[in-house]
Amino acid sequence: MSFSKEQLERYSRHIILKEIGVKGQKRLSEAKVLIIGAGGLGAPAALYLAAAGVGRIGIADADRVDLSNLQRQIIHSTNDLGKEKALSAAESMRAINPETRVEAQVCFVSADNIGALVADYDVILDGTDNCPAKFLINDACVLAKKPFSHAGIIRFRGQLMTYVPGQGPCYRCAFREPPPPDAVPTCSQAGVIGAMAGVIGSLQALEAIKYFTGAGTLLTGALLTYDALTQEFRKIRLPRRESCEVCGTHPTITAPFDYAGAVCEIAP
Amino acid sequence: MEKHKAEFSIAATEDITDAVCPLTFVRAKAALEELEAGDVLALRMNDGEPVQNVPRSVKEEGHKILKLTDNADGTYTLFVRKTGE
Amino acid sequence: MKIIVGGKFKDYPEGLRLSALIKQENVETPEYVTVALNDDFAEARTFDEIVLKEGDNVEFLYFMGGGGE
Repeated sequence: MSFSKEQLERYSRHIILKEIGVKGQKRLSEAKVLIIGAGGLGAPAALYLAAAGVGRIGIADADRVDLSNLQRQIIHSTNDLGKEKALSAAESMRAINPETRVEAQVCFVSADNIGALVADYDVILDGTDNCPAKFLINDACVLAKKPFSHAGIIRFRGQLMTYVPGQGPCYRCAFREPPPPDAVPTCSQAGVIGAMAGVIGSLQALEAIKYFTGAGTLLTGALLTYDALTQEFRKIRLPRRESCEVCGTHPTITAPFDYAGAVCEIAP
Repeated sequence: MEKHKAEFSIAATEDITDAVCPLTFVRAKAALEELEAGDVLALRMNDGEPVQNVPRSVKEEGHKILKLTDNADGTYTLFVRKTGE
Repeated sequence: MKIIVGGKFKDYPEGLRLSALIKQENVETPEYVTVALNDDFAEARTFDEIVLKEGDNVEFLYFMGGGGE
């Protein structure tokens, strides 16, 4: 397949880049990305990946757009209040790039559906709002040997890491297991600066684009942390943990599972 | 263009006289990526900005400029040999 | 002695235990913090046994559950 004149124009700023070129742009057009959560992180990630010409993007969320979301979830607009987030996000993505095939999945991820969901995609972005879901995504991706980007934001801080099978630690290596419900603050309790979602979600989109095009190095074996108050980024080296329950030498987790209490935490 | 055939055979031609910067270079780059290393691309472009910038950008990508000929109609043809990666 | 905490050199008295450092640094939700010590993870149950030494590199990693909602 070769690009039409219109496609060359749409993607010209990518194609000019030595690290991407026509070859990299073609890889993007053949790429399949699943974004779990059409919220703060998922919003910029989904828009940038659609705009970048990623061939197929799944966007999974069962929530509906709420007024308190619009301070940061820039993929939805005031007109979308009450609409399913996955559908509202898909509309915005198709509007920015009709060439991208968008698959809206109106569902929450759980142990029952996550295996089938991730199987269909090359890279998964975690844009969820709670720790149990982040562990579920980690386990499912490790078990299915799928690369994924983990991220979290709170107040004026954010962090992300990238897992690629066979290349460094998973999220569970470092964080082991979710804290009990309400033990650590969530955004709805502690607040979050809207633009933080833009920074970290965009970094997740960048990791996916770099993965497909082979440009640069990924955040494997590292946790990138960002503090907006001091404007400091730090890249903290993360070792692998041989005793990790899912990616270690003797794994005890062999299938994704849900943590109790996860369901009520998901509610907006 | 007959006489060039004696010097090198042209694998493909691309006319970018309908494009403006940076699409001139994007189209040239795309046309080159379709070719095999060693192939020669004939690029027809307008005088002015394209002829000033496209040859330089193509050279920066590592390809070899063989010849630039004035077509005496306000356009130039640039002959580029694609280098391997 | 000088140790590195979160990428910055800090002066602490000899014999400082990791559990004491966690208190001194006002670590948020200390019972759920992950500690990377010299490119290895320290087990939470050993925080009280680990005696820090000159040049040790300590990183505190936090749960950040937010991002969706």
